Amino acid sequence: MPIEINHSRCIQCIGCASVCPVGAIELIGLRMVFHPEKCISCGACAKACPANAIKFIPKAGVKK
Amino acid sequence: MKYDYDVIIVGAGPSGSTISRILAQNGMEVMVFDKRKELGEPIRCGEGLGAREVISQGLDIPRSCVSTDIKGAKVISPDGSSIVWKSKETTGWVLERKMFDKWLMEQAVHKGAKVQSYTRVFDLVKKDGKIQGVKVSHADHEPYEVSAPLVVSAEGMEATLARKAGFRAFSSLYDVDTCYQYEMQEYDHENLIELYFGTKSSPRGYVWIFPKNDKKANVGIGIGAHLETGVKEGGIKGATPKDYLDRFIANHPQLKNASKLQDTGGIISVSAAIDSFAKDNFMVTATAARQVDPIHGGGIAMAMEGGLLAASTIMKAHKANDYSEKMLKEYETAWRNTLGKKVAKRLLLRKVMEAASDEDFNYIFKTINQDDLDQVMKGNFAGPVAKVVAGRPQLMGLLKALISSRETV
Repeated sequence: MPIEINHSRCIQCIGCASVCPVGAIELIGLRMVFHPEKCISCGACAKACPANAIKFIPKAGVKK
Repeated sequence: MKYDYDVIIVGAGPSGSTISRILAQNGMEVMVFDKRKELGEPIRCGEGLGAREVISQGLDIPRSCVSTDIKGAKVISPDGSSIVWKSKETTGWVLERKMFDKWLMEQAVHKGAKVQSYTRVFDLVKKDGKIQGVKVSHADHEPYEVSAPLVVSAEGMEATLARKAGFRAFSSLYDVDTCYQYEMQEYDHENLIELYFGTKSSPRGYVWIFPKNDKKANVGIGIGAHLETGVKEGGIKGATPKDYLDRFIANHPQLKNASKLQDTGGIISVSAAIDSFAKDNFMVTATAARQVDPIHGGGIAMAMEGGLLAASTIMKAHKANDYSEKMLKEYETAWRNTLGKKVAKRLLLRKVMEAASDEDFNYIFKTINQDDLDQVMKGNFAGPVAKVVAGRPQLMGLLKALISSRETV
């Protein structure tokens, strides 16, 4: 899993979804839902998150 | 073919409400789906709205939707000096956004539009390659299909369906600010919007204080999301607006002792609009199309003004029974010729703000006065620029884009 969402920190602002180039995160109900099969490990969601609620786990060999 | 509705609108924010109100008023059958459990929640914005848009649409906003009147603005430079721009009349309001969104949608329902909350639109329905409706699920129950010859995305920043329809409705990190905001109390304000600039305290952005009733205020910050100002979870470098905001508050003589009533946050678009708003049987409006003010990312006014343009094209398409891209592009042309030009000017101003150093800000704010600021707000840059450059010619390089803008926009 390239990212982990900390739902206690998340404020459902949908910022991560707005910058994800492949639509791998969306708000469903009252929770951000991550679709790992779409993720390209770019880290944009984690960089943009205003609440620092996304832990990015880079793939081996990918620059942080 | 018989459709369930004339138009399906996705999203019951200010854009969806405005468009559905006008269409229903003109006899069209409109269905609005919103995925939120309750319209208006969660709030993701500073809640400011100028008076002009509301007056032009003949809307009489009830006091319950308004937190306080705005009488002007105060701009504070990095060294603490400020310019105040005050008006005798109310220039706008800080809304109770939750109440306002719901109220605006109620106005559409009064005119005959239908709305359904907690309903997620998760896919398009296509027949013979043409968009003919949407697949929805209410409260995560059994999905079903709803048909219409036109689907309008008024989805806001996330724009999930617009992306499914093939629009590039997402933002690069550079094109957004990442924001954090507290509703705070008590703060003695003068009903002015306060904006604090400083490359150290709010890199590529600013801190805002929006006054609210009962000595409350929305205190927030937006900084460039592409910046790597801190180390985030997992060790990745990224922008940390909350840290900056907490620092600002800790150093603010009044706010450091104030309470926090609410946390909000979000991402605002500070770029130009997306490159296309329409295709056969589908339209993208307002924030979903990044039709926002690129200085503050505000989208309410733009959604309401743009909503008029969108509705006018939709009525024409309905009358002609022609929902082709060619027909729907009329809306895009109208937008680019009016609101688009305003946005282009604001974008130039934004670029200057982005490139300015703290010393530049200090000098500019000491040199221009309330009248100059008034001109800048109206998009007339020549006078104020001449004044600044007269005393500090080295700023010409930075500011010349503003005055040569007339031909390009």
